[in-house]
Amino acid sequence: MQDSNTIDCNGLSPAPTVLRIMQALIGRKDSNVPLNVLVGSDCDCARLSVSLGDLADDVQLASNLRQFATIN
Amino acid sequence: MFEDPANDTAERHRKQGTEPEAPDFAFDPDDPWTQTFQAGLERADLKGKTVYEVGVGTGVNLAFILRTCGAARAYGSDLDPRLVMLAERNLRSLSPQHAEHFEPVHGSVSLIDTDDARSKITKTDVVIACIPQVGEPNDLRLTAFRKAQSVELPDGAETQAEDHIAHYYPWTAFDEYPYNSVGLGLNEALLRRIRQHAPKAQVVMNFGCRIGSDIIFECFEANGYRPEKLASKIVHQHVGTDISFFVALEKALCGTDLEKQLVCKFYADPDGTHPLSATDAQRLIEKDPHVDLYHEVSVIRGIPIEN
Ligand SMILES: C[S@@+](CC[C@H](N)C(=O)[O-])C[C@H]1O[C@@H](n2cnc3c(N)ncnc32)[C@H](O)[C@@H]1O
Repeated sequence: MQDSNTIDCNGLSPAPTVLRIMQALIGRKDSNVPLNVLVGSDCDCARLSVSLGDLADDVQLASNLRQFATIN
Repeated sequence: MFEDPANDTAERHRKQGTEPEAPDFAFDPDDPWTQTFQAGLERADLKGKTVYEVGVGTGVNLAFILRTCGAARAYGSDLDPRLVMLAERNLRSLSPQHAEHFEPVHGSVSLIDTDDARSKITKTDVVIACIPQVGEPNDLRLTAFRKAQSVELPDGAETQAEDHIAHYYPWTAFDEYPYNSVGLGLNEALLRRIRQHAPKAQVVMNFGCRIGSDIIFECFEANGYRPEKLASKIVHQHVGTDISFFVALEKALCGTDLEKQLVCKFYADPDGTHPLSATDAQRLIEKDPHVDLYHEVSVIRGIPIEN
């Protein structure tokens, strides 16, 4: 299980990753902290942020759960 | 594209002088989805194998795999507890000589989430399933997502047909699975459970490819299975089956530069030569709710990739 502020996008290509992030942001209760998004190690995070546009400010992308602890 | 499934299921039943009992709460066994599934099962090398069907419906596939494909033993269950009993009755009438080769898992079983189901899965060579790939139209979070894309639910989409759970799944309940974002959460949940409890078992699953086969293949690979298409057919889009989820996905991707990576696949013709996006298809439905639309149904086998 993931905690309620983290979504798993590992294994998803860019289009479904962006969709999953959008869906999670819409359904979120606590919007004061960024949403943690777990991506694959091969994810092009810079490109993903461009696709997310303004929504990129609401998420933290990382390829390993431990990285969130350091960021948040 | 594969040729049409050779034998029409209804025709086959007529020839054999038997018709399965098919009440309204069961998925129609003469539906082209089932015909396509059986064309794939015929190519799935089931001879002598132990097969578990998740979501047995009327049980026509159980009769088919035991009688026509030569499977040695079959297990099966369904979320609707009436269906596994119906499947037992149908198997006894369609293929009495094989009835004793079927061991049902009784009760309401979601995926393989009971001890009895899990214990049978560990003895299974091939798991077969054709389970819903569209989120429940009334799901609260799905509704919020659809509304955020300004996509309306068409009139009547909230009314539930008797066989509603054959078509839709509770979307939010499967949101921990990444491919839920494109409607594959229930199927991905099944792949993960099989991988955990029967890591050597193959899977043969039937999909409506409105979301495109590429992304279904990706889902198999992400979950440790090498996918291959065993059969495929262009079928009528069920009049009344809600496609607003697919429209919302396309709209959400507008302006992300990823629009071309996910375009839903509907067709204007039964040969599948005139592709339509979900947005195009929805526009045609709005003009004429009874317009003929089509999409591909494919049977995909997943072979577990050795770790
Ligand atoms: C499209 S019908 C297919 C029936 C049959 N297997 C066939 O191919 O004709 C889907 C079946 O899956 C069952 N189902 C839906 N959700 C399920 C779940 N979570 N677990 C198990 N079965 C489910 C439905 O009750 C229904 O019988």
